[in-house]
Amino acid sequence: MISFTTAAPAVSAAFVASLVEVVEAFTIVLAAGTLRGWRAAIAGTAAGLAVLASIVVALGPLLERVPLHPLQLVIGVLLLLFGMGWLRKAVLRAAGIVPLHDENAAFVVETAALSDATTPHRSGYDWLGIVMAFKAVLLEGFEVVFIVIAVGAGRGLLLPASLGALTACVVVLAIGAIVHRPLARVPENTLKFAVGVILCAFGVFWTGEGLGIAWPGADLTIFFFGAVFLVVALGAVAAVRQPTGAAGG
Amino acid sequence: MNILREVGGELLKMFVADGWLAAGVVAVVSVAGLLTRLGKVPPLIGGTILFLGCIAVLVISVAFAGRQHRAR
Repeated sequence: MISFTTAAPAVSAAFVASLVEVVEAFTIVLAAGTLRGWRAAIAGTAAGLAVLASIVVALGPLLERVPLHPLQLVIGVLLLLFGMGWLRKAVLRAAGIVPLHDENAAFVVETAALSDATTPHRSGYDWLGIVMAFKAVLLEGFEVVFIVIAVGAGRGLLLPASLGALTACVVVLAIGAIVHRPLARVPENTLKFAVGVILCAFGVFWTGEGLGIAWPGADLTIFFFGAVFLVVALGAVAAVRQPTGAAGG
Repeated sequence: MNILREVGGELLKMFVADGWLAAGVVAVVSVAGLLTRLGKVPPLIGGTILFLGCIAVLVISVAFAGRQHRAR
């Protein structure tokens, strides 16, 4: 039986992280579809999803064969590297040191790059559009797959974490299909900040378990770690904030 | 080949976006792991070193980036 205290952080981390990644991929696929034709954008997206699916299918049975402690240690260290990188960047963005990510600006950059290229083929597939959509789905998808495996594999939570990620994909695609433009109003840095905190908490927890440390309070320790990371990160934002910097996401 | 190289580079950047931060994390995990595995400290103290070490690495990395930004 999966407890709420174990599943809730894993599912919410997978959902929120996937939301951020899918929004970024959606912006590029939208640019490819608008300028190079939807046939190319959909073909590139499908190819990217197929590669990701084969990676998941190949990795799934392998992960089940790895002993639990080494698996927790490897995933914990990777989570720390990934999560601390996200949190550091989110803190620097919130403090105004690094510019905030803007989906509208990203869309303009992508469309400019595609407009400069040769005219799309009217017959057959447009390879530039396909490659652009493929790369966006593959690269952002890797992060989603990693987060799902990282927060789910250590406690048999792969299915709930996958459902969290899938829900995020459906939400973004549904909203994207309705508004048909970059989802610039998603508070991306705030979400990245939150996910960074959760991933760091999971990273310390799994790494410790992998080293044979029995945390007092078991899974509840993840909430404690998360709370401390949050307070420290908010303190770091206040400490290095630029007087004229933009904050939040 | 270009796509593969680009994808590989992006994957590396996923985990090593900032070299000093990554080195700090690896150093903290190594110290906590060695002390715990060699029995030099009780496991819970090793866990505390791991947790506080990660917090310290994050704070130092952010402070360093802030100072560099102000110096420019």
